Amino acid sequence: MIKPRYKVILTIYGLVFGFALYPGLVKADDNTKNGDIARGSQEWANNCARCHNMRDPKEFRDDLWRPIVNHMRVRAGLTGQQTRDILAFLQSSNYTVVAAAVEGDTTRTESSGLSGEQIYKQTCVACHGADGKGAIPGVPDLRTRLSKSDETLLQSIKNGFQSPGSPMAMPPKGGNPNLTDADLEAVLSYIRQAFK
Amino acid sequence: MKNISRKVLFGTLFCLGMIWVPNLTSAEEDTAAMKARIEALEKELAEVKALLKEQIQQSATKEEVQAVKKDVVEKVQAVKKDVEVAKTEQAEWKTYDSTVHLAGYGAVGYTNDDPMNDRFNQVQFNPIFHYLFKDLILLESELELAIEDDGATEIVLEYLTIDWFMNDYMALVGGKFLSPLGQFRQNLHPAWINKLPSAPSGFGHDQAAPVADVGLQLRGGFPIGNPMYANYALFVTNGPELELNMAGDEIEAVETAGVVSNEDENFLFGGRIGFLPIPSLEIGASAAFGDVALEDESDRDYEAWGFDTHWWWRNLDIFGEYIQQEVGSLASSVAPDEQEWEAWYVQASYKLLPTKFEVVARYSDYDSTHADQEQEQWALGLNYLFAPNAIAKFAYEFNDGLDGEPTDDDRLFIQLTYGF
Repeated sequence: MIKPRYKVILTIYGLVFGFALYPGLVKADDNTKNGDIARGSQEWANNCARCHNMRDPKEFRDDLWRPIVNHMRVRAGLTGQQTRDILAFLQSSNYTVVAAAVEGDTTRTESSGLSGEQIYKQTCVACHGADGKGAIPGVPDLRTRLSKSDETLLQSIKNGFQSPGSPMAMPPKGGNPNLTDADLEAVLSYIRQAFK
Repeated sequence: MKNISRKVLFGTLFCLGMIWVPNLTSAEEDTAAMKARIEALEKELAEVKALLKEQIQQSATKEEVQAVKKDVVEKVQAVKKDVEVAKTEQAEWKTYDSTVHLAGYGAVGYTNDDPMNDRFNQVQFNPIFHYLFKDLILLESELELAIEDDGATEIVLEYLTIDWFMNDYMALVGGKFLSPLGQFRQNLHPAWINKLPSAPSGFGHDQAAPVADVGLQLRGGFPIGNPMYANYALFVTNGPELELNMAGDEIEAVETAGVVSNEDENFLFGGRIGFLPIPSLEIGASAAFGDVALEDESDRDYEAWGFDTHWWWRNLDIFGEYIQQEVGSLASSVAPDEQEWEAWYVQASYKLLPTKFEVVARYSDYDSTHADQEQEQWALGLNYLFAPNAIAKFAYEFNDGLDGEPTDDDRLFIQLTYGF
């Protein structure tokens, strides 16, 4: 004989289970089967620090990040899409400048067509924040860096940069290897204009 | 007449002379010009010869360059071939169905109790194994290996689950898992994650917070609307066991280490829902219901409730959690009284960037129907982060418990921990 309160609990379980079996009921934003680097950087910044200090994407190879993020999916209650996005970001952020050179990636100069503001809000905002003051521990206020020359800043953005005292380095191109030289110039121009 | 003729003759000769002399000057000039032209031609010829020689030399250099270029091209092709091989091998690894990963953490530590009782008392190693089949099945397991007081090595299977990712919003988790009630036990207790060397008062083994259980669990998350998001865990397990005191007339503790027996034939139902209205704030609520029984006795109620929260802003982290377990009364039992264990804590930590230091303060309170278990605690800590996962901790606990009990002793901790 099942007690009434257990009937309530089992009913809740049934509803949740049914809910899960019909994922179309859940309106996921931009849900795709592929990971998205820009969304992934935001999800990484939002979720990983919920429990522990942020780990550097360069700590692990691409293949090792897969079981790690799936483990974190279970631990943190992430959706599959969040997991894939974070994986895409981590796998792109351990991408080294040397690897980029072998791939011949550094010669691309054409613009992606995105404005500097769009690039910032997709790739940079997760760590640097909408106000440029830093959204996660150790990320410096961008305004303290703008006295440097464009050439110096572009090199830092392109090759990645370790701020003194920061727990981890910014990955090359903010973790998005698809950005071209023109994109980097556009985003630097936006940063100079927005955070002067 | 003769004079006239002579004059004519001289005149004629003079005229002829006048005509001849300029002609003579022109010839000399032609000769000089010709000579100059010859000299110029000879010079040009010399220059042409020099140029020809130079060209011959240059053509030789080009050949050399061609040879070097060929050599470079061959080497680049060889490098490219190596890269392709490496990429192919990497692609094979990437597309391989199963992936193995070893994670975990370790900790070593020193403790000084008040009154003086100092020792190096923590040597702990927790390897965590991950085996992933595609993105469908994950086997994850953590062992805890620790040296006990007598020098023996204690080995505990902290958890072992096989997780089936059913869809984007749900994973079915089976096996022994850390209790999903609250946050500390399931997510914050590992040494490299916990900001202090000790657990909050009441959140240790056999205290107010359930530790682990064996059964089935549904876990996942779902978006509610940007940026709101929720996560959940629902479980059914064998449930806890009851532990009597030495006299055998009171229930002293609820054992939640996770057992594979279920002698009272009662299952425990429970879960947790976490809500994130903004990414930097999580609010969770947990509950579990079931029946428990002492051996050869009737069932009695068991309940657990909990609330937890975490808010962070840049270098500041604030955690808070409340948990309660309750065992109902049973008049026919050898231990008839109702028992309750309740604990809560608030913890704030702040990273002193750009230095590697972090300061921590925690207040925790543990209430029980057994006075010797109760404790009120302040803990202050200073951490040095060699890296986000390698931390040296220095902490001091101000404990207030029953006089004469270990719960009343203050403690100094030094711990070195590394998560990998």
